[in-house]
Amino acid sequence: MRRIDPWWGLVALVVVLIVVLVTVSADPFRNILLFVRDGIAVTVLITVAAFVLVLVLGLFGGLGRLSRSRFIYTAATFYVEVVRGIPLLVQLIWWYFAFPVVIQQTGRWLGISALENYQANAVFTAILAMTVCYGAYMSEIYRAGIQSIPRGQMEAARSLGMTYFQAMRHVILPQAVRIVLPPVGNEFIALLKDSSLVSVVAVSDLTRRGREFMATHFNPIEVWTMVALLYLVMTLLSGRGVAWLEKRTRFER
Amino acid sequence: MSSPEPIIHIEDVHKHFGRVHALRGVSLDVRKGEVVVVIGPSGSGKSTLLRCINRLEEYDAGRIVVDGVALDEAQSINTTRQEIGMVFQSFNLFAHLTAMENLTLAQRVVRKRPKEEARRTALDLLAKVGIPDKASAHPIQLSGGQQQRIAIARALAMNPKIMLFDEPTSALDPEMIKEVLDVMLSLAREGMTMVVVSHEMGFARAAADRMILMDEGEIIEEATPEKLLASTHERTKLFLSKVLHM
Repeated sequence: MRRIDPWWGLVALVVVLIVVLVTVSADPFRNILLFVRDGIAVTVLITVAAFVLVLVLGLFGGLGRLSRSRFIYTAATFYVEVVRGIPLLVQLIWWYFAFPVVIQQTGRWLGISALENYQANAVFTAILAMTVCYGAYMSEIYRAGIQSIPRGQMEAARSLGMTYFQAMRHVILPQAVRIVLPPVGNEFIALLKDSSLVSVVAVSDLTRRGREFMATHFNPIEVWTMVALLYLVMTLLSGRGVAWLEKRTRFER
Repeated sequence: MSSPEPIIHIEDVHKHFGRVHALRGVSLDVRKGEVVVVIGPSGSGKSTLLRCINRLEEYDAGRIVVDGVALDEAQSINTTRQEIGMVFQSFNLFAHLTAMENLTLAQRVVRKRPKEEARRTALDLLAKVGIPDKASAHPIQLSGGQQQRIAIARALAMNPKIMLFDEPTSALDPEMIKEVLDVMLSLAREGMTMVVVSHEMGFARAAADRMILMDEGEIIEEATPEKLLASTHERTKLFLSKVLHM
């Protein structure tokens, strides 16, 4: 018989709680939910888009940290050390307020009017900032995963005539991915939660929509309880997704 | 039976690991179809020498020519490596793949063989090494002896001209050593060129055309198994007395 993951119960519990609140007390809970609905979409969009980019950037960063080329290694290490040393909130603010000025100044200097008139797009900037920041953490996770695969696997692949990249793609990464799945899942959930910080740079995500609703209706308990429950549903669902992936990719041991 | 051109030509090769001088001017020729068994105490450089032949280990000075291609001038070491199978002490089967996939991966990716052809080659080889029924097993489900035989088959699937064996039975339980040596023996009888680092004297007697004793990064003695095992050379005698321990 197939066993059902008992932690689905927690997901169900939170969903039921939201449904009960919305039906029993439509004002304000139903109104809150309807009001923040598009904010949920923005939060999901930023999280998913940034995460996909993080997976790619982290792979390059991780391989870079393991590179035998001094230049590539130094560049990757510099990126990781600098980015993980600056608070995400500060990075977000920098990309939103400082980066456009840098672009404009450069445009003026080079005489390119397209750059001179550059204006920050809030959602784009949010995705950019989250990607750069989480890419640094992800680089270290990938590096750890690749390093955890015994040397002999790479040697066996190379001895058969595979190139470094063929060996990485067919032998090392498929094994490393299974090992890093739990921390990568962790990063997804952390990214989802940290995306609430983008509310400070004019992105209408779930958190910002909650604040907007509260500003007009003055009911902090209801708004922030609802927002918290909505985040919780999303993170718990992500957790189940990771667990499912882990189960699916496990190989005979 | 001496063919003019050696298939492996090693000339005054030096290798350092930091301050350790692991190979101190090793020269060795292996002819096509020859079986050479290398023995020597641990740290004598025998594995390092073997790993230099397919450049898993870079050497600092000297020259190695494999099948007419000088390794340090090779356009692509990957092309040369396709001709050199290697079997490791710790098997190194790809842990996430089945036995069948272990045998087909490099055929597909490196040799660009069609799926069906790679499969057929793999099945033939699994039969040849005596485990036709384990095609769908993962390495962890197999005994050490089975894993090592699959590792041999994986190397053979590339149709190499040379096979290198780096202590292929050292990690095996005693009762599994024979099944691996039998495969190696039949390979030797088929005329495969083999360089084997191993202390299996029974195998050496039965299969080796030549034996080589290495110590401290140098070749001390080189002779037929009968002669080497009865050597009067002091260092050879000392080493053999420790290995044979009877």
